[in-house]
Amino acid sequence: MRKYLYIYKATLIENLQYISNIILGMISFFVTIFVFLNLWDYMYADSSELINGYNINQMVWYVLIGEILWYGTRNKTLTNEISNDIKSGNIAYNINKPYNYVFYIISKHFGEITIKFITFILIGSVIGRIFVGKIIGFSLVSIPFIMIVVLLGVFINSIIRIAISVISFWIEDSNPFHWVYDKFILIFGTIFPIEMFPKILQSAMIFSPIFVVNYGPAKLIINFTFEKFIQIFIVQIIYIVILVLLLLLLYNKGVRKLNVNGG
Amino acid sequence: MLMEVKSQIKVMFLSIKYNIMKQMTNKVTFITNILFMILNNASFILQWIILFNIKDEIGGYTFKEVILLWGMAASTFGLSHIMFYKAFHMSDLIINGKLDMFLVQPKNVLINIITSDTSVSAIGDLLYGYICLAIYGITFKNIILFSLFTITGAIVITAFVCICSSTSFWITKGEILADSLSSLVIHIATYPGGIFKDTIKVLLYTIIPVGVSSYLGVDLILAFNIKGFIYIMVFTIIITILAFLVFNKGLKKYSSSNLMSSRI
Amino acid sequence: MNVIEVKDLKKQFKVKEKEKGIKGSLKSILKPKYKEINAVNNISFEIEKGEMLAFIGPNGAGKSTTIKMLTGILYPTSGEINVMGLNPSKFRKKLAYKIGTVFGQKEQLWTHLTPYDNFKFFGAIYDLKDSEIETRIEELKKTFDLDEFINTPVRNLSLGQRIRCEIVASLIHKPDILFLDEPTIGLDPVVKQNIRKLIKKMNKELGTTIFLTSHDVGDIEKLCKRVIIINHGKMILDDLVENLKYSSKKPLEDIIAEIYEDNKLEV
Repeated sequence: MRKYLYIYKATLIENLQYISNIILGMISFFVTIFVFLNLWDYMYADSSELINGYNINQMVWYVLIGEILWYGTRNKTLTNEISNDIKSGNIAYNINKPYNYVFYIISKHFGEITIKFITFILIGSVIGRIFVGKIIGFSLVSIPFIMIVVLLGVFINSIIRIAISVISFWIEDSNPFHWVYDKFILIFGTIFPIEMFPKILQSAMIFSPIFVVNYGPAKLIINFTFEKFIQIFIVQIIYIVILVLLLLLLYNKGVRKLNVNGG
Repeated sequence: MLMEVKSQIKVMFLSIKYNIMKQMTNKVTFITNILFMILNNASFILQWIILFNIKDEIGGYTFKEVILLWGMAASTFGLSHIMFYKAFHMSDLIINGKLDMFLVQPKNVLINIITSDTSVSAIGDLLYGYICLAIYGITFKNIILFSLFTITGAIVITAFVCICSSTSFWITKGEILADSLSSLVIHIATYPGGIFKDTIKVLLYTIIPVGVSSYLGVDLILAFNIKGFIYIMVFTIIITILAFLVFNKGLKKYSSSNLMSSRI
Repeated sequence: MNVIEVKDLKKQFKVKEKEKGIKGSLKSILKPKYKEINAVNNISFEIEKGEMLAFIGPNGAGKSTTIKMLTGILYPTSGEINVMGLNPSKFRKKLAYKIGTVFGQKEQLWTHLTPYDNFKFFGAIYDLKDSEIETRIEELKKTFDLDEFINTPVRNLSLGQRIRCEIVASLIHKPDILFLDEPTIGLDPVVKQNIRKLIKKMNKELGTTIFLTSHDVGDIEKLCKRVIIINHGKMILDDLVENLKYSSKKPLEDIIAEIYEDNKLEV
């Protein structure tokens, strides 16, 4: 555990020098938010209107939180780096190092996104405050619970990403699968709350990772109840146990395949 | 002069041909990349189905017209990424001093750089553009105009990105700037211009030329007018010239700060 | 006749300096410090047509920077360069038709294509007509024994065959001068010998002037008559290889190493 903490810390320090990059990199985040602000402003005839149970304040905050989770945790380490390591055979060098490659990637990933994520949360909140005002009914007491759910959501998302990248052991280019996952998360959970979809789809989505990765945490922020927290938290734990096991299984299988082929 | 242009064009197309040949060496990857990109784009239709459930008209467009807009965005993006893919990654070459190979060739450096690689998935984007056109409605006039504005749009986007990337000659952060600005253009291009306020629209028809690469083209297909047509043509020429000027100016700085850091 | 003339050539780089740790990182964001380095510092030399010159020096001495200025890749900070009667920074394109370049560590070839296709591409770059390209490839194929692998994709060739193709590709337009930056790096002795033979043949039969950098003493000994040594951007020796060889009883490699070392102490 200590060595993974060290990897985390080392990448974190390394990434401190990229703060200006992070802020410059927010341009695309700003634009996305800007487009959605304009879009919803256009869609809501007046501020009292409700669309599928959401008023404009909740809708904008939902999208904003979704986009923060999306942009603030994006990282090429989880996609390109793993695929490249596998394709180039570099992974063979990592196998006999005294750490687990999967945990190494996770530590590195979190080291890389920590500052970025915090910056996005801060700046995102300011943007929301300026354009639509405070989240209606938000209380400071809920923050610790929200943090837990958000962090677990980010963690689950990372595991899924890594699992997709690991497909590179079998298929040369795992990128197309990342696109599919990207679009799935983006369209069904990020740019709209799932209430916007037909009823039948909604119940299906509740049982998909969308519930634990973005919809659940975002919904909890704009409309906090303790029961909802417990519900999301339990489902997240179940997801983590299953996904971590699945990932390790996939990875070990892949590595074995590599050994058979002689790298 | 004419000979020079001719041979430049010959090299350009040879380069693009070889790039595509390279990508085709792995046929499975080649085809999955294209197909998945089409699917990837198609998923956004869902977004618009949802939005048009709320309102019948968004930013002055009907559902079919938004599909056409999406098609235009996809085809311009696709064509620029097939022909001029490296323009979108030029900052990396500049910052890490990887232009040497192009500088010892007796051809235009900028053109040689941007045509030196291709994106396979972009073929999916281009195809998707025409699928959208088919959904909107195919007529002889539509195909001609759509193709023409795809070409001008691709040139406008590429020139815009080249200008942004060229800032890497002066500032090391140019890479992020170019990255963000190019994704910005693509993102805005898929939403109707009508949802933006007028001041923003002015920006979109000048400094951030989404209006020229996408909106105006779509509007001309919906209802042709000669003024808009001339605007597109003139704008395309001007921004292209500008891209060459900025790049060539930057090229003189190529050595000074960047190279050493790459070698250490 | 001189094909290359260099006078008081200088090249300065600005390098960002950074202190250690988090504090240093933060500091360098707020207030970046720059240091100026003279990569090439006042060098002058001339090269005659048909010469084979070894241009050597320890790592970071300024060899590549000099080559890059001679070929028009980099703009000099000050000084004059004249290659084939042209100023490289002003007439880069014009000069490109007259020179060839091979950078041993960087590949110019398309690896998924065959050497034949590659040569066709380079032919097009240098404005040769298709029929001209064909005859030229035929010539080069015969002269440099490429028959065996001219239709095998480059990625399937051995390193030695690749370098051979790199060199031949740079000859497609019959350059007057060929710049070779460490052409034998990473090759085994047999292949090295082959490459040297090829370079020698080129010089003899086509009259190509050769400007060569290398860390391999064998390259210098076997190929070049004259050697220029630079270190820290300054020229410290310009002499015949013969003179250098007989200046002491030690092997040439040791003599050169000593010159590098001596120079280090002075600085």
